[in-house]
Amino acid sequence: MRLADYWQYSLPVFVRHKSRTALLTLAVAIGVCSVVLLTSIGEGARHFIEREFASLGTQLLIILPGKKETQGGAPPLYGTTPRDLTLDDMRAIAHLPTIDKMAPVIAGTTLISFGNRSREAIVMGSTPEFFAIRNLLIGQGQILPASASDYHVPVIVLGSKLKQELFGQQEALNQWLKVGDYRFRVLGVLQERGESLGLDLRDMAVIPVRSAEMVFDSPALFRILVQLKQAQLERYTEQRIRKIIAERHEGEDDISFVSQDSLLSAFYSILNTVTAVVGAIAGISLIVAGVLIMNVTYISVAQRRQEIGLLKAIGATRKQVQRIFIGEALLLTSAGVIGGLLVALLALQLARWFWPEFPLTPSGWALALATSAALVLGWLFSWLPANKAASLDPILALKGLH
Amino acid sequence: MRWQDAWAWAWAALKAQRLRSLLTIIGFAVGIAAVSLLSALGEGMRQFILQEFTQFGSNIIAINPGKTETFGMGGLLTTTRPLALDDAQLLQSLAQVEQVVPVVFGNGQVKAGTRSRYTDIAGVGSSAAQAWKLKVAQGHFLPDDDLQQPRSFAVLGSKLKTELFGHRNALGETVHIAQSRFRVVGVMQPKGEFLGTDLDDLIYIPAQKALQLFNRDSLMEIDVFYSEHVTTEQIERLVKQTLIDRHGREDFTVITQDAMLASLDKILAIVKLAAAGLGSIALLVGGVSILTIFSITVSERRQEIGLMRAIGFTATQLRNLFLLEALMMAMIGGISGYGLVLFPLLLMRLLRPDFPLAFEPLILVLTLALSAVIGLFAGIKPALDAAKLPPIAALRDE
Repeated sequence: MRLADYWQYSLPVFVRHKSRTALLTLAVAIGVCSVVLLTSIGEGARHFIEREFASLGTQLLIILPGKKETQGGAPPLYGTTPRDLTLDDMRAIAHLPTIDKMAPVIAGTTLISFGNRSREAIVMGSTPEFFAIRNLLIGQGQILPASASDYHVPVIVLGSKLKQELFGQQEALNQWLKVGDYRFRVLGVLQERGESLGLDLRDMAVIPVRSAEMVFDSPALFRILVQLKQAQLERYTEQRIRKIIAERHEGEDDISFVSQDSLLSAFYSILNTVTAVVGAIAGISLIVAGVLIMNVTYISVAQRRQEIGLLKAIGATRKQVQRIFIGEALLLTSAGVIGGLLVALLALQLARWFWPEFPLTPSGWALALATSAALVLGWLFSWLPANKAASLDPILALKGLH
Repeated sequence: MRWQDAWAWAWAALKAQRLRSLLTIIGFAVGIAAVSLLSALGEGMRQFILQEFTQFGSNIIAINPGKTETFGMGGLLTTTRPLALDDAQLLQSLAQVEQVVPVVFGNGQVKAGTRSRYTDIAGVGSSAAQAWKLKVAQGHFLPDDDLQQPRSFAVLGSKLKTELFGHRNALGETVHIAQSRFRVVGVMQPKGEFLGTDLDDLIYIPAQKALQLFNRDSLMEIDVFYSEHVTTEQIERLVKQTLIDRHGREDFTVITQDAMLASLDKILAIVKLAAAGLGSIALLVGGVSILTIFSITVSERRQEIGLMRAIGFTATQLRNLFLLEALMMAMIGGISGYGLVLFPLLLMRLLRPDFPLAFEPLILVLTLALSAVIGLFAGIKPALDAAKLPPIAALRDE
């Protein structure tokens, strides 16, 4: 039997049983479609995170004051320690050849007021490098001047939302406002940009690091952001930094590191697990569809008993009969797969249209997996009934008997 | 027709096509199992997390310095508008307030003799143990000293005690944090983790000492435990008013446990719903299965239908019979699906009682109701088709 013969033989069956064919296709399509859609949410989240991190520059290492010896715990996120990490500590590691840029961060909440309006906000004390490392773009005016690295300069860069709340439509540049007990001149306003890694920068302000020491009356740095020259230098740089800090801190390297890589890999491992679990759950529906395929193929074999008898009587082999029924099941499955994929891709396209900031992307492996899982299940579940058809006794079957 | 007859007829019809019914039921049962297992997991997780958060009691409000709400980060940062020990003391004097726990967290090296360990340091008040339901294993918790001038006592978490002292007695010994000396007056019982912080690898010292140690003037949080006789709204208003009177403005953030739990519960309910939704995809396919098989069945039984019409069955009776058959199939599927889940659930409960799996009889009822609805929906089109058949044509049909 040629392939065309199989095709000619099976096609009328599908046409005759239109609603059955349609329903089976629908069942498979639902399964395939849900696997693809659900896994693409995970893939979308991955792209989203990647993009967020890409805006941070590539090789970021964050130094936190404090250290914990608890196994597997979170790093000491609250930057409170008996021995402060200071600007001088940062200067001491500045000469390391693997470091490209560094920015200290003092972070605190304080009252910012202009005229009769005031607002409680997070103020970051840092240096011009901060803008480069966090990839912050200025909307109006300019970023902190170079002198802000070493001296108190009474200038401030506002987040876009903060500017809006303090000044409204009014011009903000070169106005004087109060931060805590000190007066600062507005030097720039940041470009509108969404939340970045949990920090809403629209609602913050940046002042020179020395000024922040004054405002908050403490030399303790909250973080040091380090941008490395290239990848794979983290470990080496960490060791060098630990050594230098230990020399300055009476032999104690009381700092912790968070690297972009470790953050990303933690994110990804969670994300991969969630995606896999969700995909597997969606895959259960494929199994249910598989059971349906089996059921319908059994029915089909029973209904076409006489036909099978005839086929065998005129010389069709076991293999050929089996192939007919498995082939029919696979054809139906393929129709379901194609339908499911089309609907899924269309839905994703629509989702991207309406919701561009969260790029729902179908991942290649999910498409391949959904397709192959559906086909394998179609084959597996039609095998038993097809086998039954193949082993029918031609004479009894011709008579329509068991 | 009596309902017993109808019942027997539907049952006989199912039994006549044993394999077909069985496969349909299996498909549907898998769908039901997916839904009920996932909702059990979702509900279990919800209860587990809520329990994590309510373990410290429920009449709590937390006050953080700063008016900005950024994931409670506000408290960790330095601030020019501190929440001081005086504030805690003032709140303590309110009649409706039972306990006040000033909190300042930090990190540092704790030394005892030749051993040392970098770990978390919790600056708290004497009522922390009672308020947070921490249990002392040896000695006692920090004594009820004046908040402003406490003695230099410390209480060790169980793990920290072992790390520093091994099996030796720790009570009465001295530990150093930076340049300060503390006398160990108690060791806590193991408590486990809370939100990523190991509560056993921790040292408790008086809040005032911690502020000094970390060179801060602001607490990170004040936890207020209030009496059961006032409502959350009342105490929230009272606390706000008291602090505003003192500070001159609202430069702090009050988070009630109720509000926090409510928003947490909202998120968790969504997660649970999403989990059940995921499972219901399989159920949907199961429904399609019933529909497919049932429409095949009806088309195969045209002669039977014709005969029944001929001996006087009305169209409505026929429709109801076929609906009953679909319903029966779905219900059996539903019950076996639930049984499929029940078994591993019970096993899990026996083997790992702490695993968060909730298991509600309500789910069984819901599952059955859902099965019935799906069965009816899947059965309605084929049943109507059957009822509409002209008796003569159906009888003649091959």
